[in-house]
Amino acid sequence: MAATLDVTALTCPMTWVRTKLALERLPAGEELVVLCAPGEALENVPRSAREAGHDVAVEGAVVRIVRR
Amino acid sequence: MSTDRRGLFRHAARAARDAARAAQGLPADARPLRPPLDDTELERYGRQLVLPEWGEAQQLRLRDASVLVVGAGALGSPVALYLAGAGVGRLGILDGDDVELSNLHRQPLHFTPDVGSAKAHSAATKLRFLNPAVEIAPYQVRLDEDNADLLIEDHDLVVDCSDSFATRYTVNAACCAAGLPLVEGGVAGWTGLVMPIRPGESACYRCAFPQPPPGDAQPTCAQAGVLGPAAGVVGSLQALAAIRILAGLPDPLERAFLQVDLAEATTLRVSATRRSDCPDCAGA
Repeated sequence: MAATLDVTALTCPMTWVRTKLALERLPAGEELVVLCAPGEALENVPRSAREAGHDVAVEGAVVRIVRR
Repeated sequence: MSTDRRGLFRHAARAARDAARAAQGLPADARPLRPPLDDTELERYGRQLVLPEWGEAQQLRLRDASVLVVGAGALGSPVALYLAGAGVGRLGILDGDDVELSNLHRQPLHFTPDVGSAKAHSAATKLRFLNPAVEIAPYQVRLDEDNADLLIEDHDLVVDCSDSFATRYTVNAACCAAGLPLVEGGVAGWTGLVMPIRPGESACYRCAFPQPPPGDAQPTCAQAGVLGPAAGVVGSLQALAAIRILAGLPDPLERAFLQVDLAEATTLRVSATRRSDCPDCAGA
């Protein structure tokens, strides 16, 4: 089962801080499922994850990130 | 207390620590396992944790580190403030002087009500307000050849923010002998210098500057004059170099020092090579 993280109550930059550290704690190739609030978080978390080189898929408010 | 007597206590304390670690099956140099960053730490250090070059591993290295700041004045103020803010686990603040009114324009750790109090303690109070998670150890003493080895011991890095060439050479020799990384710095007038030193790997301060300048070319700060922000720039560069070393980031000044000319707004990166006959670091 993929690790999940709920950042819906957070704002930038804590949304990405949490996501980044959760990813660092995962082995490469593992998936992290991040629940984002619509708006700023849903725009920035996938973008930051892509910029960091991870594979990203967005389904509604769910961001699936596979650690590179 | 005499140095010998202090040494006796130190050795007894170290033997007890090693015995405790051996009883747990740990090597003598093992550090206790530290928990990952907690919620408060994530929030406090969030803006550095989001840097691509930074992450939990770098933050934990900082938290595990012990740094000695020699001098709590114009350079030591920004150095200690930034290291405490960044989350260095333990900071030793060494200064034997009291705060004077004429210090305040360039030493942002000290405020007007602190005039007359010991700089080491004035600094410690502010740093504890800034980051209560950092263990602050004030040393109200002047570093000299007799106590340098003892004072730098048990630290992972030294930042030299002293204001005399004699102290600089003493700190350099002690760090070379102990194999401790050191960040040197100095400011006079509108110019400054920053030099990270890894004994045994890079040139030390004496490799780069074998002799202190002749007497008339080494003005004290009081004679030379300095604007606060000029010292702040150099201290900030020292803090940055220290953080890079502690976190294990690549060091752009690995075999060089940086000269800063704030009157002309220029920097000059000067290569520095080790000297095989250096009395301080040849054996390091």
